[in-house]
Amino acid sequence: MKSTQLVSSIQENIARVIKGKSRVIELTVVSLLARGHLLLEDVPGVGKTTLAHSLARSLDCSFKRIQFTSDLLPSDIVGVSIFNRQKQGFEFVPGPIFANIVLADEINRTTPKTQSSLLEAMSEAQISVDNQTYPLHQPFMVIATQNPAEYHGTFPLPESQLDRFLMRVQIGYPSPEEERKVLERPQSLHPAEALQPVATAQDVLALQQQVDDVLMEDSLMEYLLAIILATRQSDLLSLGVSTRGALALSRAAKALAFVRGRAYCLPDDIKELAPAVLSHRIMVSRSQGLRHRSFEQSEQIIQDLVESVPVPV
Amino acid sequence: MPFNQALCLSSVLLAAAAFIGLALGTSLPEWLLLLTGTSLIVTLLRALAVDRLRHLLDRIRLSITAWNILTVMAFVGFWVDLLWVSADLLPAGVHFLLILMVIKLFNLDQRRDYLHLYAISLMAILGSAASTTDLWYLPVFLAYLLMGVWTLLLYQLTKETDPGHNVPSLSEGLVTTPRGRQQITPELFWLANGLAVGALCLTVLIFFTIPRVSAGFGQKGSGEGLRTSGFSETVDLGMIGPVKRDPGIVMRVELPDRTGLQLDRFYLRGMAYDRYDGKSWTTRLSHRRALAESPAGTFTVRPVSARSPRPLGPIIRQTILLEALDTTVLFAAPYPESISGQFLAIQSDPTGAIYLPFPASARLEYTVHSRPTPIAPADLQFQPAVYTEVFAQHFLQLPESSERVRVLAQEITQSKTSAYEKAQAIEAYLSRNYRYSLDISSAVQTRPLEEFLFERKTGYCEHYATAMVVLLRNVGVPARLVTGFLATEWNEYGNYYLVRQRDAHAWVEVHLPNSGWVTMDPTPAVSETVGDSQWFAVSRVIDTLRLRWNRFFVQYNAADQLAVVRGLKEGTTVVRDRAWSSLSSLLAPAGDFAGKLLSRVGEGNVRLTLGFLSFIALGLGLVIWLVQRKPWNRWRYSSASHREHVVITQIYRNVLKQIARYGIVKTEHTTPREFLLVVGNQWEAAGESVSTITELYCRGRFGKAMLTQQEIDLAYQSLRQLTLIDPPSR
Repeated sequence: MKSTQLVSSIQENIARVIKGKSRVIELTVVSLLARGHLLLEDVPGVGKTTLAHSLARSLDCSFKRIQFTSDLLPSDIVGVSIFNRQKQGFEFVPGPIFANIVLADEINRTTPKTQSSLLEAMSEAQISVDNQTYPLHQPFMVIATQNPAEYHGTFPLPESQLDRFLMRVQIGYPSPEEERKVLERPQSLHPAEALQPVATAQDVLALQQQVDDVLMEDSLMEYLLAIILATRQSDLLSLGVSTRGALALSRAAKALAFVRGRAYCLPDDIKELAPAVLSHRIMVSRSQGLRHRSFEQSEQIIQDLVESVPVPV
Repeated sequence: MPFNQALCLSSVLLAAAAFIGLALGTSLPEWLLLLTGTSLIVTLLRALAVDRLRHLLDRIRLSITAWNILTVMAFVGFWVDLLWVSADLLPAGVHFLLILMVIKLFNLDQRRDYLHLYAISLMAILGSAASTTDLWYLPVFLAYLLMGVWTLLLYQLTKETDPGHNVPSLSEGLVTTPRGRQQITPELFWLANGLAVGALCLTVLIFFTIPRVSAGFGQKGSGEGLRTSGFSETVDLGMIGPVKRDPGIVMRVELPDRTGLQLDRFYLRGMAYDRYDGKSWTTRLSHRRALAESPAGTFTVRPVSARSPRPLGPIIRQTILLEALDTTVLFAAPYPESISGQFLAIQSDPTGAIYLPFPASARLEYTVHSRPTPIAPADLQFQPAVYTEVFAQHFLQLPESSERVRVLAQEITQSKTSAYEKAQAIEAYLSRNYRYSLDISSAVQTRPLEEFLFERKTGYCEHYATAMVVLLRNVGVPARLVTGFLATEWNEYGNYYLVRQRDAHAWVEVHLPNSGWVTMDPTPAVSETVGDSQWFAVSRVIDTLRLRWNRFFVQYNAADQLAVVRGLKEGTTVVRDRAWSSLSSLLAPAGDFAGKLLSRVGEGNVRLTLGFLSFIALGLGLVIWLVQRKPWNRWRYSSASHREHVVITQIYRNVLKQIARYGIVKTEHTTPREFLLVVGNQWEAAGESVSTITELYCRGRFGKAMLTQQEIDLAYQSLRQLTLIDPPSR
């Protein structure tokens, strides 16, 4: 099947740069095909930026990178209206958000105000400046990277914004062998720069369309909703998963099924994606202790909740 | 014998019993007998697992499409049979049924095929029951019953042991799961036969004890008839009085032709009495004769010759539904000419009363045609009348009555000459001068008539009627006392009279020389105390429903059944004739065309003939293409996939059960793929089979994909393999 080949060739292309992280690459592609945004959370220097870069290079589409700093302003992202002397009027100068793939690097280094300016862009695929609405390019995907919350000089992302990311993924350190391969690579050129695009923006849009047609059987829908309900009823959590979260899980599961060459979802898809899709949308209740909002803890809670929900036979 | 095989066997035997019933009961064409018989024997041998035969048959298996075409052809054949060959619904239906049975016998693959076969067998045994009353039906039916019990039992047992692969197919192996290998133990054998015998005994018990029509056991007030004083051979004065307070329903009288008849007071005549001894009335004319029956069910009460010289009144047709009474008297409007109903015999006495030979134990329904006697014009004048001695003995008889009564009689009739005028005068005198009342002390009176006439001057119908008869006889007019009912309660919703105990009545019949016996009633009309309120209207509606219920359900019997069947048969004949005429009118142009064509061929127009033939060939080709390609599969898709969806899920469940036996349990939180990994780790040998089934299951269950027959077979195969490989080492 052509689309399956296309998907795997994207994955292979990225895998040339990001060594030994096939799962992360798969999730990245899943996010792309599910029309979602990806949040990469990890310590500095494990290839977050490179992953985003490689994805953008693999697709023949525009790519912008925004380095988030504490003094970054919203207009630095969405653009600004500037007075044009010749035309005697204001003229909108688009910001870096006008690209197919936007890398929001170290998103938690900037102020909540600036973070929120991404909100509309991420959920509506459009921005409004001076009462004017500008549609963004399609496909549109934000890949944000952030350092773990305990690091100095970070502003935790607001819940509303976290909810807009399809999933949160940790890259993790590579194995020693993989790391060795990275070292052995010629250092003159950034490895991502050498990549050749394997798919066009049109291809991506077509793939996204096909993901919508993936079948989720009724009992699976029930299963998914049971998981969502379990997060809302759990004593461990003070905030369960929103309806947007349920939608995200369903879309992600469909995309995963598609990436794996199926036209239908399996319970496995839902179960496998639940931690990545849901863990950043919940709030661990305070009674659960100090490591509030830590990555591992919330993923573990989701994992346990999913294990408590019966799988349809 | 394994359950599955036993089920096959008993199912075929069930069908065979039904077939034998049909073959013995109806005349079937030889080819059909031969075909069905052979099919049954072949299937029976297959079920007995005669291997060589099975292989042979498997080789010549027809495709499902071919069977479907055969079924359609059989249906077409049924219509042809119905319209032209046997031209009757029952034989055509039976032929069709047998062909369906043959087709099913060769297609026993799925459980539902077995169900179809049972339905066909049931219809066949019903058909044979409808076509015969012979004794040979008993053993056939017993065989059917026995096989029915066995089949039901085995069907249930195989269902329980084998929910997934529920195909006790003849062509595949008969053994699917270890539990499917269960054998019929002696206990089960006796249990099944015992059940069959028990069911039979129960049926026989019910057949002989539960009444089938018109007599509800344990019904209120049944067993003995309603007590109706006054309808025996003697009537004591004062007997009817107490009865007249009883609102119990005695009968309902439907008058289909009432329109036009003015009948405010509708008399229902019971018995007539000729002898009065001063205290009570008796009848000396009680010798009864059986009435002639012609046609069947209709009894003539008064032969036509007996009434011919007299002028005739209009016929009153009544349908009477009589409750069970303690008397044999049948009531009817005066004077009944014929009575019809389901009676064995009807008797009558010389006074015209009608009797049953013995009291009825249940409600009776009968129809009576009556004609009232009109007054002959000649009787309005004085007519000298000479009565025979016997007649005078009966109807001019008087008790030793007092002088006062005779004087009174002459006083009343002083100026009257004719018998009719005298009767009218007495009737008027009594009804005018005496008060009607039911409150008469029941103390024994020595001379009740004199007391009524001269002292109390208060009484009820019996007193009035007795007084009138005695007064009439005193002036030489023959008269007699009649008892019966006076119906006044008209139910306008159901168009019938509701007659209660309290409507019991006594009146007078006067003999006029030219007219004969004429009904007269000296009792004044009692003003009805029951108002025509809404409430009574409701009760009348309810009573109407009761009558209908009785008419159409309780009294429904074999004769009615027969009438319905006959109606159906006539109906089909009508439909057939209509269809035939419209079809022939439709086909007339085609016939013309064919005729022309044939004549052209005779002239040698080869090109036209070839064109016509190729046109037909083209049409046939199109039909075959449609059948082959099945463009309608598109809409069949969803239902078909749904079935396979269920089948593959069942197989998967079976796999889970199989594996759980070795302690590898799929917890409910495990997904299919995770479980596959678990199995792979713990029981390596099973990995491949489980993997195949899991893959198919995921595709069929969650992908709603239409699995092919090969894939389903593959799943079954893998399931079977699972039972054959070594268990996991612990």
